[in-house]
Amino acid sequence: MQNELRGNFHEELDAVRDMIVTLAAHVTEAIPRATEALIDNNLEMAQQIISHDDDLDALSLQIEERCYALIALQQPMAIDMRSIVTAMKINGDYERSGDLAVNICKGLRRIYGIQLTPTLRGLVTSMSEEAVRLTKVSVDAYAEGSAGLASALPDMDDRLDDLQVDFIQEIFASHARGELKLEETVQLALIARFYERIGDHAVNIGERVMYMVTGVTPEVAGAAQAKHAAEVDALAEVAEGVAEEEAE
Amino acid sequence: MVNLTDAEDVNPKGLSVSAENDADITVEQNTDTPVDEFPAEDLVFDASDLSVYYGDFRAVRDVNMLIKRKEITALIGPSGCGKSTVLRSFNRMNDLIPTARVEGTLLYRGVDLYDERVDPVEVRRRIGMVFQKPNPFPKSIYDNVAYGPRVAGRKKGLDDVVEHSLKKAALWDEVKDRLQESAIGMSGGQQQRLSIARAIASDPEVLLMDEPCSALDPIATARIEELMAELKDEYTILIVTHNMQQAARVSDRTAFFSVEVDETSDRRTGLLVEYTNTEKLFSNPDDERTENYITGRFG
Repeated sequence: MQNELRGNFHEELDAVRDMIVTLAAHVTEAIPRATEALIDNNLEMAQQIISHDDDLDALSLQIEERCYALIALQQPMAIDMRSIVTAMKINGDYERSGDLAVNICKGLRRIYGIQLTPTLRGLVTSMSEEAVRLTKVSVDAYAEGSAGLASALPDMDDRLDDLQVDFIQEIFASHARGELKLEETVQLALIARFYERIGDHAVNIGERVMYMVTGVTPEVAGAAQAKHAAEVDALAEVAEGVAEEEAE
Repeated sequence: MVNLTDAEDVNPKGLSVSAENDADITVEQNTDTPVDEFPAEDLVFDASDLSVYYGDFRAVRDVNMLIKRKEITALIGPSGCGKSTVLRSFNRMNDLIPTARVEGTLLYRGVDLYDERVDPVEVRRRIGMVFQKPNPFPKSIYDNVAYGPRVAGRKKGLDDVVEHSLKKAALWDEVKDRLQESAIGMSGGQQQRLSIARAIASDPEVLLMDEPCSALDPIATARIEELMAELKDEYTILIVTHNMQQAARVSDRTAFFSVEVDETSDRRTGLLVEYTNTEKLFSNPDDERTENYITGRFG
């Protein structure tokens, strides 16, 4: 059995992790509420989300300051250092995702009163669900220190990217049919972009969690992946060559 | 041929070098951690399967380390892990303990340091040592620095040696006007730099430092650390330190030693767990024992 020599410090690290999870939970709730406000033309709800973001910003600042204090006072090393650096990085990502939910609400104020077609409503709802799912998986990966979950995020994000493309095509088509004014079309395109950005932040968080768990920075992992892909391609070429020779 | 003194034509600082040193060397440690590759002429020490015994008690076992020229190598680990024992074996200080003996090989510049034909005095001239507590002789500052060269028979040019050594040790400006005053009156930090100057005066290639800052305040510690960074341009330095942050700050490579306890005899033997680039060791160590130690999850 090992004796814990830096118990207080490690409790502090756990506290930072819990704060990040709290922040992420609030953001995860803000996204579907923003979507609901958008679909229901609910300005009051939108305003609540916008006001609540100040609390999230305050929490985020608190997390950041706590991380600074831990670095200054505890000189963290190895997994402790990686945990703190990761917390600081993903703290920014969650805070930004919260801002994007706010941006969706502000977008609603600019197009207040429009009724989305059932197709657009469906696409917005799907984008929202995907954004929530990605954010949830990112925080699960972080809280559990799971490189497996973290590594699933880029592929999951492809679905959100596809939905955004579908949504944009649909609003352009609606605009062409005269159902949406130019300004509404632009605002809706921006709103789609906000959902898509939430997904990107979740992917960033996944990369940071990978670093926390494995110690390998995303850039290095990316280079290794590219090298591996090149090797696979080279092997495939060789295999093709062999197959052609056999065919002859 | 074992030759510690007449190898100046081969290498101004070094010793005669064995033939197989032409090939580049890949540093593979007993933890299978590849550190990097460096040319053979940069290899200062090559310890392989080095164990140190006190009587029949094995204090540290199976140390495999390659030490690179003009680098600072830090040895860290909990009390009793054998890091000071290993450091002392690098200039045969353990010879002074009657029951101490080493197994395995320790090559310095290709020469077996423990070959019976090797003169330990010559070893200690080339591989100087700075101890935990500064230990100036109750003599003048000048005589302290000139001691080594005088013992070696040098009579001319002592003024130059003293000035050069004190300058190297970043002490000259503070003491140049009172060289004949007693060294005992100096501050702890100054005394420690005097110890370094005294080691440098013998024109060594390597400086071994055993907890050189543990008796010093943070400012004096910072000055010694600064000095080490400057000395690295000319000397190869090995430092044992209890202060992990110090190892992280000053060293290029770090060796982490741990202790294993024999449950039946309750005897503790030190061993080298991980030896790699300092940045790697403190940010992403390979061995869980290293991780547990440097993050304080160790007991």
